[in-house]
Amino acid sequence: MSPSTEQGNDNRFENLRQELRRGSLPLAVLAALRTEHYGYTLRKTLAVHGMAIDEGTLYPLLRRLETQGLLVSEWREEDKRNKRFYRLSPDGKLILKQLLIEWKSIHTSLEDIF
Amino acid sequence: MALVDRYLHAVKFWLPRNQKDDIIAELSEDLRSQIEDKENELGHKLSDDEVEPILKRCGSPMAVAGRYLPQQSLIGPALFPIYSIIIRSLIFYFLLPWLLLWLGITIFSPDFRVDHPGAALFASLEPWWLACTYSLFFNTLAFALLDRSQVRSHLVNNWNPRALPTERDHNRISRGATIFELTVVVATLAVLVQIDPFHRVFHFFGLTMTLSPQWPYFIWALTALTGGGIAVSCLHLAQPCWTRLSASLRLGLDVYSWGLIYLLCRANLLQALSGGDLGSNDGVKLVNSFNYWMASSAGWVLFIGAIVLFFDIRRILRVGPAREFEKP
Repeated sequence: MSPSTEQGNDNRFENLRQELRRGSLPLAVLAALRTEHYGYTLRKTLAVHGMAIDEGTLYPLLRRLETQGLLVSEWREEDKRNKRFYRLSPDGKLILKQLLIEWKSIHTSLEDIF
Repeated sequence: MALVDRYLHAVKFWLPRNQKDDIIAELSEDLRSQIEDKENELGHKLSDDEVEPILKRCGSPMAVAGRYLPQQSLIGPALFPIYSIIIRSLIFYFLLPWLLLWLGITIFSPDFRVDHPGAALFASLEPWWLACTYSLFFNTLAFALLDRSQVRSHLVNNWNPRALPTERDHNRISRGATIFELTVVVATLAVLVQIDPFHRVFHFFGLTMTLSPQWPYFIWALTALTGGGIAVSCLHLAQPCWTRLSASLRLGLDVYSWGLIYLLCRANLLQALSGGDLGSNDGVKLVNSFNYWMASSAGWVLFIGAIVLFFDIRRILRVGPAREFEKP
């Protein structure tokens, strides 16, 4: 395989990988926010579990989920700094439960296809 | 931290007014936490050089701010295909031919170059630029407005599979067009065989017109052309679809016919004109004017012929060898 073909394959894989992960990010964020977090610790938690996400992606996503009523947030002082803490709303808990069922169904379907 | 503040200030500029402070406070907290972690890891305050990679990884201020904004487009994906077809048609069937026509006039018309010397030649292209700007601008504006109106949902959602156009076969040759072409060439041949090629003097409306000695050659060449035209039309009737062979024959026929028209223009065909109220000088003047007009049209003949040949060659390339054996 020529280097340019190899690089082309790498790029295609990377694009598809990112697309796949982007689709599962809301689920990962909702699941992680069963426990209250502020942005930075949420990022660290996700990274520890292999779902690293940059700040430019996480914060707009948090805002979108909050606008949809799935998260609630409040500004609080911690370690002498103001931080915005997020947690699941009651609606968010319900949606997370449904999404997890959907996720397992997708996983089972894919396992069957493979 | 001056670098972080500058970065946050730059991000803030692009954010929606009502969310600026909130977003910046949160982003600022994240960046300062990252820096703090790094400082704890290294055991010293970070210099600007060490802060820079953290900010670079975060993304350009405009890109970061852009992620907080709703996805927006001037013309959405529902209407963009129609917009794209209209713009391409505008370019290829209106603006490009206009530009080619301008080029043709510039190259083949000495009078035009004399009337528009130097920069004035390019200034004569001004209406083209205006047409480009206005047509592209107003089309884009119309589509942007359409995209934001109720008409869009009506256009996109109200459709019926039965109302869709039938598939068009670009390789198919219309039988009607072939029969028309055959009728014209047969009629032309019928006229040509009536003409005595060696008879170069004609009388009409009291005038006597004498043609050049090359006239018989043109009659023979035209007769051969009509013969070729009949053969190609018969081939199209028998096999009404383009193949490499029929497309190549069409190219050959067009090269021959446009070459012949070019030679006809350059042949000084009219030798003399006399009789009626014409004085001898008037006759010479008329003959010269006619021959000059014919000769100056030769460039245009080449130009139009080149366009025809372009489409002929394109047809050969589009047919391709794989379709050679396709049934009509």
